[in-house]
Amino acid sequence: MRNNKLKSIYLSLLAAFIFMLFPWSGLALTLRPDFMLLVIIFWLLRAPNQCSVGTAWFMGLWIDLATGGIFGQYALAYTITTFIAVIYQRRLVLFSSTQQLVYVFSLLLVSQLIILILKTFAGNEFTGWSYFMPSLTGVLLWQLAVSLGLNTGRHSRGN
Amino acid sequence: MLPGIHQNFDQQQAPAFFARGPSPLARLTFFTALSLALMATDSRLQYLTSIRATLMNLLHPLQVVANAPSELFESTDKYFTTHHQLLKENTQLKQQVLMQNISLQKLNLLALENTNLRDLLHAQQALAETSTLAEILHVGRDSFTKKIIVNRGKNHHIVTGAAAVDATGVVGQVTRTYPSSSEITLITDKSLAIPIQIERNGLRAIAFGRGRDNTLDLPYLPANVDIRRGDKLVTSGIDGVYPSGLTVATVTEIKTSPESPFAHIVCVPTGGIEHSRQVLIVNLPQSDEPDVTADETAADDSKKAAAAASAKDATVRSASTKPPHAQPAAAPAQAKPEQPKKAEPPAAEKPQNKPLTPDQSQHRAQ
Repeated sequence: MRNNKLKSIYLSLLAAFIFMLFPWSGLALTLRPDFMLLVIIFWLLRAPNQCSVGTAWFMGLWIDLATGGIFGQYALAYTITTFIAVIYQRRLVLFSSTQQLVYVFSLLLVSQLIILILKTFAGNEFTGWSYFMPSLTGVLLWQLAVSLGLNTGRHSRGN
Repeated sequence: MLPGIHQNFDQQQAPAFFARGPSPLARLTFFTALSLALMATDSRLQYLTSIRATLMNLLHPLQVVANAPSELFESTDKYFTTHHQLLKENTQLKQQVLMQNISLQKLNLLALENTNLRDLLHAQQALAETSTLAEILHVGRDSFTKKIIVNRGKNHHIVTGAAAVDATGVVGQVTRTYPSSSEITLITDKSLAIPIQIERNGLRAIAFGRGRDNTLDLPYLPANVDIRRGDKLVTSGIDGVYPSGLTVATVTEIKTSPESPFAHIVCVPTGGIEHSRQVLIVNLPQSDEPDVTADETAADDSKKAAAAASAKDATVRSASTKPPHAQPAAAPAQAKPEQPKKAEPPAAEKPQNKPLTPDQSQHRAQ
């Protein structure tokens, strides 16, 4: 069972990565949710023993490679975000679904804020408030997945 | 402690507060330190360039997979193009060919005349550039930078610093090359500058990308400068990167304010990745011109003397690596009337003849 879970973790991470690699452009690029972070958060809540800060860091490196930015930016953002997620992971069992949604939204925002800070340090400029759109679309995608029956580890954590 | 119990718990999905290996805080500290070290290494030193190229090569199959759906859609879309559409396009293309043939005939005459005139002036002959057609794989995924990735790379002899143009104008410059793809920074990126000339009066300036929207800035021009709305900007060719005479942008907005001695001029690029999926990568002219970075030309002029000295250096350096067909051009280098403005500082010299290395373009951003 454990092996099965590991396999599905890796497969979903790979799928998320390919989704990130799609040739997004224009408006789609502005709206594109951070699939990778969503999948990482999902597994953090669902299987914290298999998917943790290290996994997030490693996947962040690949995102760094794909975006062509400086190595370590997404890795750091994902590391800090997953750390926050892990701290509150145990409390999540008690959260209502609305609370969980807010929680996921704030995690996505934190990661975007960290990336914004890092990119600004590297000499880039803030591109406008539409920069935060991926957090919004990301949380909508999360809600969609939950309403389609995805168990985000809120009810029973034994299966 | 009781390691046995721990293991037991772990196997049957231990509750989260048991046996989790290093604490999250320890992991956070470790990976944060690792990320910071990576960032410092990547932004300041060049150790990771080859690693990045190798990883990008690994990534290539995934990229092909990710591009497959949109390509499939496009090809089916093409397949169902109607007969009528094709006929219409054919007529249009025929007309275009006719018109271009006429101007080409004129061009031959002009080229001949130009050669004669240059001979009279003992000026250096303009070199014909070789170019490669590349297709855009995807637009850069980073919303902070304006970049595109194309499907031609080191394997197709693309070099860092080559110019990218399309049918309507200059698109950008190659900033990174991987084995089978390369990264082009668009002229609208904040870290790219391009030496231009106003077509109407020959005034030279440097256009900087704004980064935020798809526009260019013409800074450091006095408020009373002779620029009008609608003026066409073309490449001046003095940088040794972009061939001269290519359309870059049109002026759309000129603002002057009493507080500033400079005019605020905004231009919109004529070329762009929105128009087509193909770009032409124009290889660097294999001439004697020293490595010139556009931004440095914009900087103070006091380094000119030092630049002239290292320009000689560059001549010697590039002459040895030059392919045979470019040899004759090396001779009249010193006699060239338009002295190259600036050379790459010797400290940044590389074995290859790169005009604008990615690290330099990143430095610009700071």
